Amino acid sequence: MKQKLNLSNRIVLLAGGAFFIFPMLAAFEFSLRTNESKSYGFDNFRWIFEQDGFKSNLSVSFRLALVTAICVLVLMVPTVVYLHLGGARWKRLVEFICLVPLVVPVISFALGVGTAFPIFLQSTVYELSFLYVIVSLPYTYRALDVGLSSIPLLTLVEASRASGASMRQTLMYVIIPTIRTAVNGAIFLAIALSLGEFTLAVLLHWDTFPTWIANVSQGHVLNAIALSVLSLFGAWVVVMIFALAPKSLRSNKIQEATK
Amino acid sequence: MSLTTTKRAGSLKTGVGPLHFANKGNSYKSALPLLPFFAFIAYFLVFPLTFIVRDAFLDNDGKFTFENFAECFKGVYGHSFFVSIQLSFISAAIGAVVGALIASAIVKTGSRFRKATAASASVLANTGGVPLAFMFLAGFGTEGLVTRALKFLGWNIYGGTFTLFSSAGIILVYSFFQIPLMVLIFSPALENVRPEWREASDSLGGTRLTYFRRVMVPLLFPAFISTALLLFANSFSAYATARAMTAGTLPLMPLLIGNLVDGNVIANQQHLGQAMAVCMIGVSIIVMSIYVLVLRFSKVKR
Repeated sequence: MKQKLNLSNRIVLLAGGAFFIFPMLAAFEFSLRTNESKSYGFDNFRWIFEQDGFKSNLSVSFRLALVTAICVLVLMVPTVVYLHLGGARWKRLVEFICLVPLVVPVISFALGVGTAFPIFLQSTVYELSFLYVIVSLPYTYRALDVGLSSIPLLTLVEASRASGASMRQTLMYVIIPTIRTAVNGAIFLAIALSLGEFTLAVLLHWDTFPTWIANVSQGHVLNAIALSVLSLFGAWVVVMIFALAPKSLRSNKIQEATK
Repeated sequence: MSLTTTKRAGSLKTGVGPLHFANKGNSYKSALPLLPFFAFIAYFLVFPLTFIVRDAFLDNDGKFTFENFAECFKGVYGHSFFVSIQLSFISAAIGAVVGALIASAIVKTGSRFRKATAASASVLANTGGVPLAFMFLAGFGTEGLVTRALKFLGWNIYGGTFTLFSSAGIILVYSFFQIPLMVLIFSPALENVRPEWREASDSLGGTRLTYFRRVMVPLLFPAFISTALLLFANSFSAYATARAMTAGTLPLMPLLIGNLVDGNVIANQQHLGQAMAVCMIGVSIIVMSIYVLVLRFSKVKR
């Protein structure tokens, strides 16, 4: 529904764009400054890759993201599917539970975790993954719920069951492929959250990529800015590819068939 | 990311058909497949929460007390309530108004541009935190390009009392994730506004102002207020950006709790942090109940 943009809309878009783009450009300019005055170069970026913690902390964050994504997939997909089938009477309760993480400030949550969890859990960095599953609940639940609401789920399940598929097969080969976009969205949110989360990691004394950035920055402001530019730009590129990818790459045949 | 349930959810006829698990007779049995979910929630969400509440009522010897809460409202801690709520309120108001304006301009553009802005907004709204803080230090610092450009245009932002490490600076930085969040959540509501309504209003002799006042405002007000409350909760609990920017010097509730936990500050009460955390949850619950009420009210009206 493309409409004609009038002057005031153009002004709003231009001003808004400038407000967001200009500081980013400024940060980029800053990150190119070198310690010698008046010269520009990629020294600050090169410095990042030479740091000890860079690879190890990035890999910790990626592994956390992977575990979080798997947990979301295994825990949330069957749960939300069931809520749309036989368990509809529990939908309101689960919906309510999924809103609780929005009400509890993460810092409060971190405090409770610190005292409540037993040592065996607190001694592994993967405890963060389980917490990220909780923190991302409002978004992952919402994404899956919207996806499942837009397909004729019951018909699909009945057809699949009548053809002799087990419930597990139906879930794996019918439901998940049909709501691939929603599942991708949920997983993507969980991954983005795990890669950028700072509060829980720092208060539970773990080193992840974001806390490492904060540590490195002390005394190396130029490098920290280069790192920030790099990480925001990286996230932006990934999301942009995901958002603007042609439809044929994102959906699949079954989804087309159900339309 | 909006939290309203879709209209189509629940319109599916659930629990009918030849499904072996559609057991309508026994309500407890029908919760059986949800057991993993409930167990996960109980252990990773409810269990830690009960510990914060319990600890908030314990003194240093582990006896029951209200002292922690009394301390919460004194001195710097009491002051932080005021600073935190005020800052979140201003930040939510700015984010909501500016975000709604930008969203209303974006929905009129082409679909590719809309997708691109939505994707960018979700990056800024979700992955902000620490990187955002450093970007701002670079842009708006005394040597930053933005500062220099504004000075060139005749506005020295450091001429007055402004610093990036004050409330005003934090509000400016928070705008960077508050406005995108508003755009993200408020856009779907705007997309539901049909051009026909404008035409109907025009043909009935309504001016632009009448259309705005009599159609748009009543229609979008619930979505606007509920999103604004979400923005409030968002900036109220924000920790990473504020910590990276101010190194914990501004009296904000999350920063004070962080300092107490990190042991940077010695408090007489060991469990003061927990009491503060419970107070924060309290403020959040009040805000989010208003959110739920507004949503319910808006559903009744439709």
